[in-house]
Amino acid sequence: MSSLPVVVMDNGTGYTKLGFSGNNEPSFVFPTAISTHESPSASGAPSVASKPSYLSGNLASKRGIEDLDFYIGDEALANSKTMAVHNPIRHGQIENWDHMERFWEQSIFKYLRCEPEDHAFMLTEPPLNPPENREMTAEIMFETFNVKGLYIAVQAVLALAASWTSNKVNEQTLTGTVIDSGAGVTHVIPVAEGYVIGSSIKSIPIAGRDISKFVQQLLRERGETGIPPEDSLYVAETIKEQYSYVCPDIVKEFKKYEQEPDKYFKKYDGIHTVTGKVGFYYVNIPYSVDVGFERFLAPEIFFNPEIASSDFLTPLPEVVDNVIQSSPIDTRRGLYKNIVLSGGSTMYKDFDKRLQRDIKRTVDLRVKMSEDLSGGAMKAKPIDVSVISHKKQRHAVWFGGSLLASTPDFNSYCHTKAEYDEYGPSICRHNRVFGSVM
Amino acid sequence: MPKAAECYELELGHHACKYRWILSRHIIPSLTTATSSRLAISSFFPSKPRSEAMLLWVSTMKSDASSEDIIDEALNLFRANCLFRNFEIKGNADRVLIYLILFISECLSKLAKSPSPGDAVKQLSTLAVTNFAIPGDATFPLNAMYSHPPDRGQADQLRIYIQQLRQEMAVRLVERVYVDGKPSKWWMCFQKRKFMGLAL
Repeated sequence: MSSLPVVVMDNGTGYTKLGFSGNNEPSFVFPTAISTHESPSASGAPSVASKPSYLSGNLASKRGIEDLDFYIGDEALANSKTMAVHNPIRHGQIENWDHMERFWEQSIFKYLRCEPEDHAFMLTEPPLNPPENREMTAEIMFETFNVKGLYIAVQAVLALAASWTSNKVNEQTLTGTVIDSGAGVTHVIPVAEGYVIGSSIKSIPIAGRDISKFVQQLLRERGETGIPPEDSLYVAETIKEQYSYVCPDIVKEFKKYEQEPDKYFKKYDGIHTVTGKVGFYYVNIPYSVDVGFERFLAPEIFFNPEIASSDFLTPLPEVVDNVIQSSPIDTRRGLYKNIVLSGGSTMYKDFDKRLQRDIKRTVDLRVKMSEDLSGGAMKAKPIDVSVISHKKQRHAVWFGGSLLASTPDFNSYCHTKAEYDEYGPSICRHNRVFGSVM
Repeated sequence: MPKAAECYELELGHHACKYRWILSRHIIPSLTTATSSRLAISSFFPSKPRSEAMLLWVSTMKSDASSEDIIDEALNLFRANCLFRNFEIKGNADRVLIYLILFISECLSKLAKSPSPGDAVKQLSTLAVTNFAIPGDATFPLNAMYSHPPDRGQADQLRIYIQQLRQEMAVRLVERVYVDGKPSKWWMCFQKRKFMGLAL
């Protein structure tokens, strides 16, 4: 159809990943935020009608060009003092279409700087996204931006595709359990041959932001007075990202820190963002923070949630096991065999090893129990549990999109402008990869 | 979640070694076999509450420095366990452990003003012997989980045992927590955490 690369856009609750197909990394990663001059409404609901701006009708009342005065991404946050910052996506789903439309506008014209008429677009959606949302997306993409082609993929399926780069994977299958953990929420999604098993999806209210807050709390409890209060969350985030790892056993880990403090305790050096006065000069004064047990306690809240939260108490390995056990019985072996990690909060060192060990333990125990119950008459074929970690994990969904969009088949799966003009937005209810109405 | 090892639970003939408490690390163990490296034995509050309540806490202590007793075990487990709000009691050693962990918390809050090591030992030793509640007392926080001594005599013996635990803990805690003459912040950061949401 064309030689121009496909534009891959992964709009998440926290961050948006933008880039062109065939690349290894997204060209732009910035917060999914938009700052405008509207006054934010208290409820968090959109203050403008939740429709594209050309339908909402109140543009006519604005004689000027106020609606063009907005920023997205990091710029939006930088202007948070004078403008109202909105998050158009909540819990993975688009909540404010007017903001989203404008967000896409700058994504395309200001960041990617491409002509949407010349490119096909691949967008992502969360599992269980209602088809109405997909239609709305198609309407905006085709009518406002006049894109050449559009494909909307489920994030979990793209994450599975991204795991094909791991050398632990020897067959390219679209069956597996995806653990997607970003900033806001963690999802465990079983996928069987490309179909998301919607009834078995579980979400866990523990993700990156909770881990950062937990680290912040540990630092505060220890009385790390060196940290400037305005940077305390940033310092917690940086410590989490740079020093954290998953340990096999916390009691033994505490012991190691006591025996070899020099090896395990670290120091974080930062510089005050606000200048302080030294003598006659205003300078950015450096400070340093001791880094200790938060190194292994931070990701530990996935495995023992009770140390940080009081309402959610089920460990991640148990959730994964429950999800797989509630899936159709003929898919379970495949789901255990291909547990794929995706998102920034799964990047901790040895996260995969610990998860695999804990799930394996539960599964083996169950198999043994049923063998014992049969009185030794039955021998079960051992269940292969394998958690797959790979290099593209942080932006796995985007990378999977980039991978799929660069396959030669992609163009035939794409919904084209001509089809949209012929049939209308309902074409997006149909997914040609599976050849069925979704 | 870490647990006190089940190996503490030695099936002792209850009547044979009733009321035996030895709680100094220097006393050569008389009960355990020579091959056993685990010397700390602590048995119980009996499972049948009140009826045949018999208190048998045996804690024979170290013959060599490398072995651990229940006090060391509590010190090792304290930092990990005090993060948790739930704890499944599997045996009586766990009951002793819970008590010791709560006592460590109490001690750490006393050390918050960072007294000198000498003062710290004094303060904690005083704390160890001053009026404290034992199972059965109205103010004891864990009454639901512990059975009560049936009569006055056994209550007194239990009190003596707990007091020995507290005194020994006070001394060893200071040894462990003090670094360069002041309490280590790697211990003090846990003073606000309430193990199982409880405090003594």
